[in-house]
Amino acid sequence: MDLTLLLQGIVSGILASGLYALVSVGLALAIGVIGIVNFAHGEFFMVGAFITYQLFISFGFDPVISLFFVAPTLFLLGGAIYQSSIRYVLKAPELNQMLLTFGISIILQNLALLIWGGDPRTISSVAYRSIGYQLGGVSIGLVPLASFLISLVIVGSLYYALLKTPAGRAMRAVAQNRMGASLIGLEVNRVYLVTFALSALLAGLGGVMIAVIQSPTPIVGFAFTLKAFAIVVLAGLGNIRGILWASLVVALSESLVATLVPNGDALRNAVFFAIIFVVLIARSRRLA
Amino acid sequence: MSILQAQGLSKKFGGLDAVSELSFAVEAKEIFAIIGPNGAGKTTTLNMISGLIKPSAGKLKLNGQEISIKDSAERCHLGLGRAFQVVQPFPEMTVEENVLVGALFGKSGVSEATGRKLAQEVLKQTGLLALKDTPAEELTLLQEKRLEIARALATQPKVLLLDEVMAGLRPGEARQAVELVKNIRNKGVTIVFIEHVMPVVRDLADRVMVMDYGKKLAEGSYQQVTNNPQVIEAYLGAEE
Repeated sequence: MDLTLLLQGIVSGILASGLYALVSVGLALAIGVIGIVNFAHGEFFMVGAFITYQLFISFGFDPVISLFFVAPTLFLLGGAIYQSSIRYVLKAPELNQMLLTFGISIILQNLALLIWGGDPRTISSVAYRSIGYQLGGVSIGLVPLASFLISLVIVGSLYYALLKTPAGRAMRAVAQNRMGASLIGLEVNRVYLVTFALSALLAGLGGVMIAVIQSPTPIVGFAFTLKAFAIVVLAGLGNIRGILWASLVVALSESLVATLVPNGDALRNAVFFAIIFVVLIARSRRLA
Repeated sequence: MSILQAQGLSKKFGGLDAVSELSFAVEAKEIFAIIGPNGAGKTTTLNMISGLIKPSAGKLKLNGQEISIKDSAERCHLGLGRAFQVVQPFPEMTVEENVLVGALFGKSGVSEATGRKLAQEVLKQTGLLALKDTPAEELTLLQEKRLEIARALATQPKVLLLDEVMAGLRPGEARQAVELVKNIRNKGVTIVFIEHVMPVVRDLADRVMVMDYGKKLAEGSYQQVTNNPQVIEAYLGAEE
């Protein structure tokens, strides 16, 4: 086996894991705190990517600056979707919840298709897009490296906020015991609203990065919903602490399959499904 | 003026009248016991007071303010605290953080620093200070019950509702719990509690309300109600 290729696969996997953690942690929040399985999570990611693209095309905004526009926009979008639909199905059977979020996902995808069409959209003229470093035959792009570091900072801040700020304590309290939380004065519905909006914000920030890393189309969200589900399932549904290592495992598996297996690039999505299958089967065997 | 008033409080579950036309008033700084056989509607009453279930009819006033249409969180902000028979802790948080969360959100505008100070006092008062860094899921039953009371106290309630907090405790532990409840009242908190253990009711209650089949059967001092022939027949007599 080619050692350089292996190293390249490992490095690429590690760099991708940051972005994966950023997107998955939002999904884990929605599942862990609100208990809603959100199939539209990847669409928040996609919307973040296309807002970044549009801001670049219309106003020449650097994607780094777009982070500060996308964050509040996606927070509001997430909040609006929660208030107008999600909150009404919280007590409904899970199938209804999934169908609703699936419907939201289709609406957002098709709105994006209407506005931007189906072609990949590239932010080509930012100077740093082509900068890369060579380390003993392994190439490291500046953009993946920066997205890895920015993602880690955001996820790290989120972990800190969850542990140490009043809002974070409120989210954990509601996640651990909803009735207990309402009896000590926590407005559970408000906590849900903020959590869902925050979940959309986190996915949107990931979208900003993918707008530079790849050339997204309106269906890019689905791939990331799938990745996020594989990670969330591996970490344990709703387990926020487990997201970091689970992201690393999933990103490394994907990257190694893509670089080492012949025609492996076409098998990327199969990796996520395989992880979901294996974890779910292993868990249910342990329960049985 | 009474601090807590119920007028014509009723709850139907399907065709069953779990509670019907219940009226009572609790005075400030009183220890008020609700007793009665299983299925008498005691916990349903407490659930209506704390806002976990909506009454089918009737009114509730806290400090003269109508609270019937407010949700649990709002009632907590207005001064209603609740501790459960089946404890409701945040299992993955430490004892201290459980209490801190109560302090932070029980009243609006409590800062982290104030919350911590309040949590510290409550932990001391409830004898949990030594356990403050223990995760709630590792506590014994007695400790869990203390935590349940501590967290409710941290919300700075005017009225504290206790739902069979003595259930499952050994006699020595129950005595400690009785002391704790007295101590809480002496700090100015009104107590409304449900209890099956009669010596505890005798030692604690200023006034006792007896319920049976969702209705009030009797009300008065422990002596008065336990000598009431109707009560003896419906409740005490049935136990022998």
